[in-house]
Amino acid sequence: MKAARMNGDSSTLSDPGSERWRDIPAVAVALAPVPLAAQPTEYIRQAWAGRPYGQTAEAMVAAASDGDRLYVRVEWEDDSRPHGEFQDAAGVIFHNGSDVALATMGKDGAPVPLWYWENGRPAPLHLMSTGPGVVEKVADAVPAARALLNESRWSVVFSGPAGSNSHARLGVAVWNGSNEERAGLAAVSREWLPVELA
Amino acid sequence: MTDSASNPAARGGQLAWVYDLNKCIGCQTCSVACKVLWTRDEGEKHQWWCSVNTMPGLGTPKGWEGMGGGADPETGLPRPGHQPTRAEFGGGFDYNYYEVFYGGTAGKAHLEPQAPRENRWAMNWDEDQGAGEWPNSYYFYMPRMCNHCSNPVCLQACPTGALSKREDGLVLRDEEICMGDRFCMEACPYKKISFNYERHVGQQCIGCFPRIEVGVAPACVRQCPGRAVFVGYLNDEDSAVHKLVKTWRIALPLHPEAGTVPNVFYVPPLSPYRLNSDMSLDRETPRIPREYLESLFGPEVHTALATLKSEMDKVRGGGESEMLTTLIAYKWQELLGPFTVDPATLDRQSFISVDSIT
Repeated sequence: MKAARMNGDSSTLSDPGSERWRDIPAVAVALAPVPLAAQPTEYIRQAWAGRPYGQTAEAMVAAASDGDRLYVRVEWEDDSRPHGEFQDAAGVIFHNGSDVALATMGKDGAPVPLWYWENGRPAPLHLMSTGPGVVEKVADAVPAARALLNESRWSVVFSGPAGSNSHARLGVAVWNGSNEERAGLAAVSREWLPVELA
Repeated sequence: MTDSASNPAARGGQLAWVYDLNKCIGCQTCSVACKVLWTRDEGEKHQWWCSVNTMPGLGTPKGWEGMGGGADPETGLPRPGHQPTRAEFGGGFDYNYYEVFYGGTAGKAHLEPQAPRENRWAMNWDEDQGAGEWPNSYYFYMPRMCNHCSNPVCLQACPTGALSKREDGLVLRDEEICMGDRFCMEACPYKKISFNYERHVGQQCIGCFPRIEVGVAPACVRQCPGRAVFVGYLNDEDSAVHKLVKTWRIALPLHPEAGTVPNVFYVPPLSPYRLNSDMSLDRETPRIPREYLESLFGPEVHTALATLKSEMDKVRGGGESEMLTTLIAYKWQELLGPFTVDPATLDRQSFISVDSIT
């Protein structure tokens, strides 16, 4: 996938409903549940044994850059049933060159950066993830995120520092709040998505 | 500060509380002392880290005893449970104070929660209801807080490592690490972890650790007007909590079958006799059913109550009882364990804001 190069004012890209995203090709990314066996505590493994989660099968992903900031738009179909306690959420996972594990959102000793947005949370988070739900908050390079719920489809635009690399590899993750999904109970990309930063 | 306050390991590690349910008058002073000290910030309006339940009752969160959690008796590992919802905790609503006091509606408007009438609930919503039929109705009060368990399933359930158990046994949360996943709330069998919906973190009793660390007793203990609660180190053989729990075995854990080895203990309530239909006394039958107390405190409750009665009989007969003297707490400071420092004597600015110490 090629991240569209934007010249001039790119601020409208942060709006997931912006017309500009219509001209930027999106890629269908297949998702799969994070394995139950990889969940980090016995409590979670036991409480969720036999209970489906991470059933969101696909997300549409598009990217753009103005040279300084990287914009990633993630769109997915949600059941849109409101839940009083848990909220829908999404994340962008970055391959950071080490021996990384996408299916488990990083692993012990090989953390992956994760931009995390959750509906209703005051601000998105920059996390380092070393496993499903095993995250640490990072104070710097906190991303921005804006979200739009159009009937039953969420679209979220994340934006943050583009970095100096000409290529990136991304993964995405989606949490269905109405199914009480949180932490490592997510649908995550089956494969890394190569992104050319023009 | 006393040496034992500053050196918990030397005095026996685990901090413990003992509530004497025969002295608790349900005034909620412990609840309010905690509330004004710790839960006045955003997202904390509905939170009561200490709350007094009327028993039997649904309590708070509503129906907590049926929400599961705890530890498997075989493995000690956490068992799945329900995460109490905001509605089940209830409260956090405002009242129509302005309308009643300044609205010119004298005699017409009455104080009423500004929340939908359906499913209203709050911390003491079923206070004084109890159970039983007149003239044998009954209830008692039971203060509840985080039990700072020796087998803290909340800690085991957490994926981010936000919870830890200190050397003094307090189970504390690092809110910077907490992601608000709420597995801890599911696993806790006592349902004494709240969720801050504004800041997206779990929150619970912190054992007043900033006070403990300077030798001041927790607010729930220091403020109790009924002298009903003791604090101290459980293995400190000189402490009241050790004697009540370990030596005399009259202070018992709540729902020990939950398997988390709690460190808040209760002296079970004695009971008036039942009345027969002709209003004569049935001296054989306590009004609070023993099987109900056993369901709360386990089979040891029978021995504990028998011990209490035996000691009372001894004193009535002219004897002396160290146990009853301890429970009566003639000297208020005996409740405070090693944490006898008067907060008024501290240089408060050096460790915490002035209005945070009561």
